[in-house]
Amino acid sequence: MKWLSKEIDVFLSAKQYIDTILLTLVPISFHENMKETVSMGEFSSVLTAEIERQLHGRTLVIPPFAYLKSESQDEKLKKLGQWTGELRKNGFRHIFMFTSDSQWKAIEELLDGTLIWIPAIPLEHMDEKFRREILDEQTKQVLQIVTNQWQSGS
Amino acid sequence: MAKKNEITRRQFLNYTLMGTGGFMAAGMLMPMVRFAIDPILKTEAASDMVDIDLRVEDITTEPIMKKFKVNQVDGWHESEVEQAAFVYKNDDGEIVALSPVCKHLGCTVDWGTNPAYPDEFYCPCHAGRYYKDGVQVPGTAPLAPLDVYEMEIRDGKVFLGKTLPHPKA
Ligand code: FES
Repeated sequence: MKWLSKEIDVFLSAKQYIDTILLTLVPISFHENMKETVSMGEFSSVLTAEIERQLHGRTLVIPPFAYLKSESQDEKLKKLGQWTGELRKNGFRHIFMFTSDSQWKAIEELLDGTLIWIPAIPLEHMDEKFRREILDEQTKQVLQIVTNQWQSGS
Repeated sequence: MAKKNEITRRQFLNYTLMGTGGFMAAGMLMPMVRFAIDPILKTEAASDMVDIDLRVEDITTEPIMKKFKVNQVDGWHESEVEQAAFVYKNDDGEIVALSPVCKHLGCTVDWGTNPAYPDEFYCPCHAGRYYKDGVQVPGTAPLAPLDVYEMEIRDGKVFLGKTLPHPKA
């Protein structure tokens, strides 16, 4: 489900069925590689939206965790930890974090949740059909990861 | 000599000013409310039949997932949304187009993906199951059969329209 009031109505009435959070980790920077930074966030958001569509009934997408690229690792980790802590407190059993920022990959084991790191593909230059294929392929792989975790954890 | 219901000049002015003020406010508000509400009331804009790029002779008894694009007007927003249908021929040779959207909470179901039930639609979210004709398996999460698409065959090609409740619903 999406972070929209009409979908939250459904969420509230069917809470026991929605135990999974999809969260994108989106970097912000205005300096070198600004464009690259933007496309990182863009790609993970597109992918997250697609996963949400397919797994609408058991997942909730919350607004992205956005952070400054210039922040220290410790700082980011601490803030993200507050988010995941809050999510756990509210009973979410599965947390999937989507990002293209490789900095997270390096500290993956410190995160309370499953990191899905996908290298950003510059979607803007692709023709519609190719773009679709790439996205479908990525989606399929991620769906597999999510449903596997559901099966082993429930 | 002042009578009780005679209004003073000040009162009169107050009333009229408030009146006009109130009227103006209402005038300002009304279009805003209309503007805010109107499009929402019209969400189901006419959806025409869409060519899903599938020829009748290519349809078998095995359901295949076919994706297609539909123009959707949602509020102010007009966008292309992707939809999908499972298309197959049933035992009577009739073409069936089912919506893959699970009637429990809306995940996308798939055909034959649960090894234990190869001839059913399966929902990965809460293990919902549907028989091939789209009717839910009793005792699983969904309480209604999968929706069916409005369908037309033109020149041997499949066109789909809106989703409708299953005839067995
Ligand atoms: S959404 Fe399909 S079983 Fe719950």
